[in-house]
Amino acid sequence: MNNNDSFELDLFLSFKEGNEAAYTFFYDKYFRRIQAFGFQFIYDHDEAENLAQEALLHLWQNRESVESINGIQAFLFTYAKSKCLNLIRHNKVKDKFKNDLLNHKERELDIEVLNSLQFDTLELTELERIIQESINDLPPKTREVFIKKRFENKKNAEIAEEMEVTLKAVEAHMTKALKILKTKLSDYLFLIFILIYNN
Amino acid sequence: MTSEILDKYLSNEASEQEVQALFEWIEASAENKNQFIAAKKAWVLTSLSTDLSIDTVSVIQMKPKNRIRQYLQYAAVFLVFLGLGTSILLFNSKSENSKEIVLELGDGRLEYFSGKNQTALLNDKGDLVAKKFPNEIIYFGKAPDQEVIYNTLKVPYGKRFRLKLSDGTVVSLNSGTTFRYPEQFGINGNRNVYLTGEAFFEVAKDKTHPFIVHANQTDIEVLGTKFNVSAYPENPTVNSTLIEGSIRMSENANPSNAILLEPNQMATWLNNSKKMIIKEVDPTFYAAWTKGELAFNDTPFSTIAKIIQRTYDVEIINENSDLAKQNFTGTIKISDSSVENILDLLKRDTPFNYSIEQKTITITNPR
Repeated sequence: MNNNDSFELDLFLSFKEGNEAAYTFFYDKYFRRIQAFGFQFIYDHDEAENLAQEALLHLWQNRESVESINGIQAFLFTYAKSKCLNLIRHNKVKDKFKNDLLNHKERELDIEVLNSLQFDTLELTELERIIQESINDLPPKTREVFIKKRFENKKNAEIAEEMEVTLKAVEAHMTKALKILKTKLSDYLFLIFILIYNN
Repeated sequence: MTSEILDKYLSNEASEQEVQALFEWIEASAENKNQFIAAKKAWVLTSLSTDLSIDTVSVIQMKPKNRIRQYLQYAAVFLVFLGLGTSILLFNSKSENSKEIVLELGDGRLEYFSGKNQTALLNDKGDLVAKKFPNEIIYFGKAPDQEVIYNTLKVPYGKRFRLKLSDGTVVSLNSGTTFRYPEQFGINGNRNVYLTGEAFFEVAKDKTHPFIVHANQTDIEVLGTKFNVSAYPENPTVNSTLIEGSIRMSENANPSNAILLEPNQMATWLNNSKKMIIKEVDPTFYAAWTKGELAFNDTPFSTIAKIIQRTYDVEIINENSDLAKQNFTGTIKISDSSVENILDLLKRDTPFNYSIEQKTITITNPR
């Protein structure tokens, strides 16, 4: 176990014992992730922030039920998934389009995507590692575009200006990044399926 | 072609027509639908790695502007430096003898932050209104308009504090600051807060409820931004420094006396002439304290002494006339440096001697 891991493990143990400074560490670590996740289904930054806040509060209140440090992320994402499903089903999600039929269809699709996400502990950390690796392995310019888009929420036009490339080039990089990620993730998901099936 | 639209949709850049076309494609076959679901899943799962920052990759250049954009979801970030206060002074720092951060609730009860435990704050109905941690407090919820209750936080010299208001606005308070704010914002009306001292605001976006900082003789209305407000009682000025968005600063007694600020500008309200002047600045310099740093740029020693007194809660008596005329430039990390460290650093440039007794530092000429 490297230094970072044992540092976090200590924090996890303190957190379980009710130490708020330790909790603050995990709060800071996961807040943006939950918010980013929520935004994909709620389409509103403030609401997504509320969701993240709730999830983290819930974590604190139920810290005794978290069995391992890996369980924290699973706990938070499972809560976020549930909450998103809830909000969609109760029509509390912002309408993006003028055409109401489109909004309805989008919600249906989001429900399906959410239902297909399983956040059990083991799967999450492996996935986390694979995602980090996949992003790191992207060719430099592609990675730069992807990070600006996904984590800084910049518009394509802004990215094009900052990187001094054409808008088409930015779009091409995004397409490439998504294609590579899809491939890497689908390999992984396929593998898990095989393992479960064989057991 | 469809894959382009799909990617545009996931990035929130597709037009309504394009989305229509995309959804038609999805409904065309089960295979298409599965492809869509897989793509959205992949996209969503990347939020697992949100702590990836551009800094970790060497090829990417970080332009200064980018750092500021991380605050995108906040409506306003600005700095306000408040000057000489009279009637609105919420406490006189010289007579204030509490060395601890004190929170005064609406009903007059006092709460402290010295404990190590996280506690919950309930209102009189027994509802949870906030969670209290040793170094910050986070509020939730909304109150019916007639029942908006104000809390007052007093941060003494030597301490700093942070709070998250019930609308999501984050306020960082510097040493020697008093901040009065609604425990829970009302459902209607403006979001009014009152400040003496210095605070850094990251205001949560809400166009229907304007956020207004009342700082001594000025009102600073947020029109979507990040800013620092410096309004210390002993200074005859109020300074607002804008990082992002726009703010409107006006005279409290005469609202038509107003200016609009743009990013990277600082407005100074002069108590005596009742005028406001604007100058272009590097705002990160003025917001250094929120990152635990003190920044000086050709700053006279008298100002530095004042800042050290507030930050470390000490008193400095300077008997060295040469030192008084000196200006200094540099940055200090507050948590890493003690007052002695700082004085020793300054000594290297301009020789002087100092002695410390309890919390008073006396500076004399070198022998």
